[in-house]
Amino acid sequence: MSGMRQKAVLFLLQAGPRFLPFADAATPDLPLGRLLRLSLFQVSVGMALVLLVGTLNRVMIVELGVSAALVGVMISLPLIFAPFRALIGFRSDTHSSALGWRRVPFIWRGTMIQFGGLAMMPFSLLVLAGGGDSADAPAWIGQLGAGLAFLLVGAGLHMTQTVGLALATDLAPVESQPKVVGLMYVMLLAGMVFSALLFGWLLADFSPLRLVQVIQGAAVATIALNVVALWKQEPRTPLYGAAAAAASAKKQHSFAEAWGHFASGDRAIRRLIATGFGTMAFSMSDVLLEPYGGQILHMAVGTTTALTATLAIGGLFGFGLASRVLGRGADPFRMASYGALVGIPAYLALIASAPFDAPVLFGLGTAAVGFGAGLFGHGTLTATMNLAPKNQTGLALGAWGAVQASAAGLAVATGGIVYEAVAWFAAARGLDAATGYNVVFAIEIALLVAALLAMLPLLRRMPALAQVNPPTGAAVS
Amino acid sequence: MSDDDLTKVWPTGLTLPEAEEIHRHIIDGTRIFALVSLAAHLMAYMFTPWLK
Repeated sequence: MSGMRQKAVLFLLQAGPRFLPFADAATPDLPLGRLLRLSLFQVSVGMALVLLVGTLNRVMIVELGVSAALVGVMISLPLIFAPFRALIGFRSDTHSSALGWRRVPFIWRGTMIQFGGLAMMPFSLLVLAGGGDSADAPAWIGQLGAGLAFLLVGAGLHMTQTVGLALATDLAPVESQPKVVGLMYVMLLAGMVFSALLFGWLLADFSPLRLVQVIQGAAVATIALNVVALWKQEPRTPLYGAAAAAASAKKQHSFAEAWGHFASGDRAIRRLIATGFGTMAFSMSDVLLEPYGGQILHMAVGTTTALTATLAIGGLFGFGLASRVLGRGADPFRMASYGALVGIPAYLALIASAPFDAPVLFGLGTAAVGFGAGLFGHGTLTATMNLAPKNQTGLALGAWGAVQASAAGLAVATGGIVYEAVAWFAAARGLDAATGYNVVFAIEIALLVAALLAMLPLLRRMPALAQVNPPTGAAVS
Repeated sequence: MSDDDLTKVWPTGLTLPEAEEIHRHIIDGTRIFALVSLAAHLMAYMFTPWLK
């Protein structure tokens, strides 16, 4: 009997690596196939984002007749978790595990939470709208259920994305990090575009049953994509656990201390401030571009939808160019500042397109906004990866993600409020209808200037760093 | 490798702490899913009481 057990264990030990989700070893170079597979977690994140911000936003208001204010509250709930990304990243850095995994448990948990949220979401939305027999039920049940579902999906996607990016940073050598960042952004965008089209097509013939099928289908797709993405990616290094235990014995371990160490190193706070300003600048008018085209430039509905595509295509060109140039060892913050420099004339073009009544100028400006945002986003994320301290990768990427996601959410909300307020004021005073939009675009230009000013000191230091960077890479950590 | 083998237990080839860690994840997952499915069933029942 024990001989059989011995044989079985031996067999599993030999066959195991082929069938178990562990990477064989930390390969010095990350093959493209494996990288593509890893980037699938961005597709599931993009899918969840589109579902929350785009598809369900519309479905709740138009098909289910939920009040716009309640929908606004629900959609902004996931934002609560954005600042916690730094904490999640820190926890994954210091996770002690007998299996020798730091990232996989968190990505798995994030995936589970996102799945759970999506699994209960359709029912909670139907009850929230008071459909079927649920009209008799107290309203708070639907509100609580929908709130919980949105919170779970938000928490799950922030966790998956933060730790997924940290894993990508762990795996990719410094010189191929620009390539990884480009791929991660492209896959996020691809996931968003593809699932927006798919959800639109599937929900065209709307029924409650169809809603349940689509959202729960998205839940299953989340699990499938993330498992494929994770499989055999992170090598098992039980040392992580041991090192973490040793560090905790020395009490170097509280989040505040780790944050203090991170913040004191290499102008980290300045980098985060620049990221925040730039992200706010590039996302404040996201939801205002289509109404601007329709209301001020009298573009048809199909044409305004094409604006969003134009923005995305501009972004793709930005990521592509940034990947190429940064892959040759250029300074990522210089790239980010070029992005901001492209953004300033782009927003001026948007403002100018109304008095000249030039939809073409507006289209070009929109493409340039996407292009600038692509360069800026790529530059800041690449810099974050390059400069992340070796044992604080999760914290560094978590901090970047926290700033980026919070700034984007805050900017979209502020942009809407500023537009409403100014438009109301302009209408009362008999001013031009474009005034509300122009004020938002002008604020974006001011924020881009602020981002540029914040980045200036980072640029001056960079040439020296770039010389050290290619051969060693350890010099930056 | 053969020195390690003694610490691995049948039938998975994992060590005891490794197995316990995986088991903890399974328990956590089961708890979360029990709660989520309870909430989902409750709301499905409120929407249409078992499709009546």
